[in-house]
Amino acid sequence: MAHGEPFEPADVAFTAVSPRLATARRIATCTTLLVIAAAFAFVALVGEQSWAWVPVLVLVAVALWAAWLIGRQVPAIGYAERDDELLVRTGIMYRRIVVVPYGRLQFVDVQAGPLDRMLGISRVQLHTASAASDASIPGLPPDEAARLRDRLTARGQSNLAGL
Amino acid sequence: MTDADTPATPDDAVADADTADTDTADTPWRRVHPLTPLLQSWQVVAVLLVIAVQNAGEGLLGGDAPGLPGGRGSLIGAAVLAGAALLGGLGGALSWRFTKYRVTADALELHHGVLSRRQRRAPLDRLQAVDIVQPLVGRILGLARLTLEVAGAGDSKIELAYLTEAQARTLRNHLLATAAGLRSDTATPPQVGDAPERYVLEVPFGRLVGSIALSSSVLMPLVIVVGLVVGSLVSGSPGPIAVTLPFLFGTGSIVWKRLTGGFGFRVASAADGVRLRHGMLEQRTQTVPPGRVQAVRLSQPMLWRIPNWWQVEVNVAGYGSSGSNDGSISTSTLLPVGTRDEAVGVLAFVLPMLGVDDAPDSADAVVDAGLTGTRDAGGFTAAPRRARWADPIGWRRRGYRVTDTALLLRRGVLQRELDVVPHARTQSCAVWQGPLQRRLGLASFELHSTPGPVKPTVEHLASDVAAALLDAQTARSRGARTTARDAWLTVTD
Repeated sequence: MAHGEPFEPADVAFTAVSPRLATARRIATCTTLLVIAAAFAFVALVGEQSWAWVPVLVLVAVALWAAWLIGRQVPAIGYAERDDELLVRTGIMYRRIVVVPYGRLQFVDVQAGPLDRMLGISRVQLHTASAASDASIPGLPPDEAARLRDRLTARGQSNLAGL
Repeated sequence: MTDADTPATPDDAVADADTADTDTADTPWRRVHPLTPLLQSWQVVAVLLVIAVQNAGEGLLGGDAPGLPGGRGSLIGAAVLAGAALLGGLGGALSWRFTKYRVTADALELHHGVLSRRQRRAPLDRLQAVDIVQPLVGRILGLARLTLEVAGAGDSKIELAYLTEAQARTLRNHLLATAAGLRSDTATPPQVGDAPERYVLEVPFGRLVGSIALSSSVLMPLVIVVGLVVGSLVSGSPGPIAVTLPFLFGTGSIVWKRLTGGFGFRVASAADGVRLRHGMLEQRTQTVPPGRVQAVRLSQPMLWRIPNWWQVEVNVAGYGSSGSNDGSISTSTLLPVGTRDEAVGVLAFVLPMLGVDDAPDSADAVVDAGLTGTRDAGGFTAAPRRARWADPIGWRRRGYRVTDTALLLRRGVLQRELDVVPHARTQSCAVWQGPLQRRLGLASFELHSTPGPVKPTVEHLASDVAAALLDAQTARSRGARTTARDAWLTVTD
């Protein structure tokens, strides 16, 4: 097996997460920024303070940049199930790949906030005995999340070897 | 104190005692020592006593409390005190009455709490460590607190406070023996004596003092203080000297903590695990069974290089990340300061087989390369030369070495560090890469262990090397896990 790229193992095809995750993240990030921008715009219009347009412009620019960045980040998230371990890959600029053997799995979390439920996505998080193994897969369709949860726990049980 | 801050954790190691197996149902319940409430609130008792004595003194002197005739004032004071003492005593007695524990064939159970009752049951095959702690007052009264750690998230221990010293020791030996697989069929467990200690190491007081003096967190404030005093002498104004006070207080408290915590530090290897004992005022005796050590770090702060001293820390599940970042003695400290040979000796009895199979003395050579070596000495795979652009000073020391049983990770030029993680204790692995590393074709490898002071990483490896390591390490940990065993004492009849 070739080892040229740590983030592109040769024998593994990564599954991308749902693009609806990008929508969810954009709504969450941009709403806050735009609400603050609107407050400044209100000050500028009603109070006739022309300086207040500066933070409005900055906040809108940041919101646009965040929306663009999220559009790049979300497709970079991928996961793959090997025979004995789960691989999770994130990031473009700062890339990271985590390998969690099924046998080390202590428990699996599936969470979905109100916005996530509206968009039909949820987050699967794997927990080992280590707090550092931060392997979470956001933006999974609920069916896929439930399938992955059941599969992971089943695999974990058959491979379990204590701590 | 355990009553109030123990969160309800129904899912980790806690089960209703009524659902226990019927064959263990007749194990008798036992109570903690009757002096427990007094010991747990001795500060309050002391304060009350002081106030009482003061009051009595004022009463004798005729009392000049404004607004009240002296005699009456002290009488009311005495009544309030007596009431508080009575209430406190009653509360303590109730709490003692409701606290009971028992050891069944496979678990330790504790029931406590007056209003909100708690029942906790810890399976002994999940035992990670057993500690006996004696606070100063406990030592005077001959009482001790026994803590059993299991590997849960957050607060996952059972604390029995207080037992007599002999009771605590017997119980510890019994718990360790049971957890190790020595089963007893009889209702009354056989008395297990202290396991004989094989390898004993004590930290001399002089070396402890020296290690504190040579640590940067003590030297730096002292340098600043000297600078301020000199500045004050030169300028002739007393101002700078006043500024030294906070530094002196801060340093004093650090020194005091380390001195009392590391006083009389003693490491020993017994059949049932590694024994640690330390503490000047509060004495703590820890026992960590073999195989419960998840990772080991040998480290050497910059100035310890002069006498060639090393510190050894471990990750044990359940001890958590009670950090020793400030250099104080925590439960995760295996050896606060030792010579190079002592540190390597301690490493050898925590992880007996390093899995280097060439020559008999090559294990020592490998460890030596890990402690002080650079580049590819001792069979280490080092960061490539181009890593100097990412880390101009430390790149020479960054590297790893794989043995049959463990992974050794080495780093640090000024503060040298060597992490050893057995393959069987690897939880998961990760590789990450930033933009600069990407340009240079480098990547960092990270190994995940249970929470603790040891966080094994090796940065700036060649990216293909990191990829291969990630792949091979997960395979190795999988292989090692299938052969790891949990019972460490052989059953002898």
